[in-house]
Amino acid sequence: MNATIGEIGRSRSILLAPSALVFIGLFVLPMLYFFLVSFWQVSLFDLDRTFTVKNYIRTYQEYLGVAGFTFLIAGIIALLTTLIALGFAYAVRFKVGRFGTILLFGALISLFGGYLAKVYAWKTILGTNGILNTALLNLGVIDEPITAFIFNPGAVVVTLTHYLLPLAILPIYGSLRGVSDLTIEAARDLGSTPIATFFNIILPQCGSGLIASFSFTFLIAAGDYVTPRLVGGPSTTMIGNYIESLFGFRFDWPLGSAMSFSTLFCCVGILAVTSYLLIKAQRR
Amino acid sequence: MIDVAVTQPDGPNEALVRLRNVSKSFARIVAVEPLDLDIRRGDFLAILGPSGCGKTTLLRMIGGFLMPDTGRIEIDGQDVTTLGPERRPTNMVFQGYGLFPHMNVEQNIAYGLRMAKVPKAESERRVQKVIDLVRLGELARRAPEALSGGQQQRVALARALVMEPKVLLLDEPLAALDLQLRKVMQDELRRIHASIGGTFVIVTHDQGEALGLANRIAVMNEGRVVQAGSPEDIYARPATRFVANFIGDANLFTGQRQSGHVTLAGGARFPDAGGDGVVFVIVRPEALKPSTRADEFPISLPATLVDMVYLGSHLKLKVALPGGQEVTVHDTDLSLRERIQPGGPVYLGWSAAQHRVIDEP
Repeated sequence: MNATIGEIGRSRSILLAPSALVFIGLFVLPMLYFFLVSFWQVSLFDLDRTFTVKNYIRTYQEYLGVAGFTFLIAGIIALLTTLIALGFAYAVRFKVGRFGTILLFGALISLFGGYLAKVYAWKTILGTNGILNTALLNLGVIDEPITAFIFNPGAVVVTLTHYLLPLAILPIYGSLRGVSDLTIEAARDLGSTPIATFFNIILPQCGSGLIASFSFTFLIAAGDYVTPRLVGGPSTTMIGNYIESLFGFRFDWPLGSAMSFSTLFCCVGILAVTSYLLIKAQRR
Repeated sequence: MIDVAVTQPDGPNEALVRLRNVSKSFARIVAVEPLDLDIRRGDFLAILGPSGCGKTTLLRMIGGFLMPDTGRIEIDGQDVTTLGPERRPTNMVFQGYGLFPHMNVEQNIAYGLRMAKVPKAESERRVQKVIDLVRLGELARRAPEALSGGQQQRVALARALVMEPKVLLLDEPLAALDLQLRKVMQDELRRIHASIGGTFVIVTHDQGEALGLANRIAVMNEGRVVQAGSPEDIYARPATRFVANFIGDANLFTGQRQSGHVTLAGGARFPDAGGDGVVFVIVRPEALKPSTRADEFPISLPATLVDMVYLGSHLKLKVALPGGQEVTVHDTDLSLRERIQPGGPVYLGWSAAQHRVIDEP
């Protein structure tokens, strides 16, 4: 009953302890371990714990192009997904009234579809004997199947955008809900056209949602290696694919770790710059 | 002088805003019955009524946020019925203010001018002028969330005033403020209206606010304007029982009119022209005079004093009529306390000029 602040603090840390242990044990420690590994080397299929920065140099020398390509693809996907999500969330919040809930529910339901199911669905749609080609053939638009639909960066962009969309809608919708109708009415009253209201009143108020959606989708897209392998074809090998093979049959954990951390730092850097630019644009 | 609003008096009775047969329903519930209303140039009109009487709906139709189902709305001779708020010469001060949270005070106020593409120099001059007018001075660079309720209120007011609207609409602007601040803002509004002229329309459910601010009051009930007129008119000559009860305190006596004379339940009788039937006589508490004699006033009712409270400036008396009805009396004559005692008999007197007889079913 008469717990002092110290006692409350103590009981709080006791309550937090299990989740903190899980977080540290399953996330922080492995990360730290692989950070150490990235400074080691491999000799005869065994880890040699001699400190070296060679792995980072190799990453920079051999995989810079791949990383650039990966970030470009991830950037396109994140931008596209965020824009579509903004349109969707805007419609749900402002345009379709009570149908909004149904639309939102539909978007969230698609999250249950599973990642691989969606990748294979797009494979089925875009493949040489896929739904799209069959439909076009039957309609007489084309005479023979178009092979260019799949196994290229475009297919990766389409697939990942579709998969990431519900995840991007939520943060934006959340921040749009925080935009009060009153500010929109006030803007109209002051002579603001719908477009001016969108750019001057609504958009600046949902900046945090946009940053969250962009970051989220960018990180997932940049780290993905399943989609590129299944629908990307040989022309779309992303950095994740290389990292995967280094940890797999090539057994070069140090180089794989160095590439992982390089990718991670680059991603964080890119997101920091993007967020900074967005916030600066809002202040203007 | 500060010339924030356009003032070109074309005569005292010229209507700046003209509503004809305007009505609005929401899903079969009638919010505003078809009504006519004229708002004169330079008026400070209060639309007064209980919550749900349709007053805000009416204001939103004038502002262009709602399209009326029937009728037409003219502002300064122009038919604006189908125009949205962005194309009307009106500006609104919203109940919840609706300040833009991501802009500072100055940017909030300048937004309308920015939309109207007013040159920067002129915009700055006008913003500064209106900031001085509402006394926001040193707060110009603050974010709205760093302001108190009263200060936010001033920003909302300044943001509307800077547009120099032909009609300034205020939707319960003081409702969210505490009593003390409300009084201050009432005085501010009066001062601003006096200094810039212009036409103000305020919606309120607070009769004190309406009486204190407006030079014209439209009382609404159940979607209709039941009475419109000067505050004196409405207070002294309420058109219906509803108006009498809503504006200030009122005592209501039931009577019977027969061949030009009204007889009240307590026995008083006085001449009053009109058809035979049940009538209601409304007398304000301060018009009723307590007396020890039955013949001191032309109209007099015998009663019993129940309670007498000293309220500083006046006495408040609770008096019971023989039928059990309780009547409230205000009297500034503090010596009454020596002449009558609770539980004792008293006569309530008044003259015909101080009451109002209403024929109403």
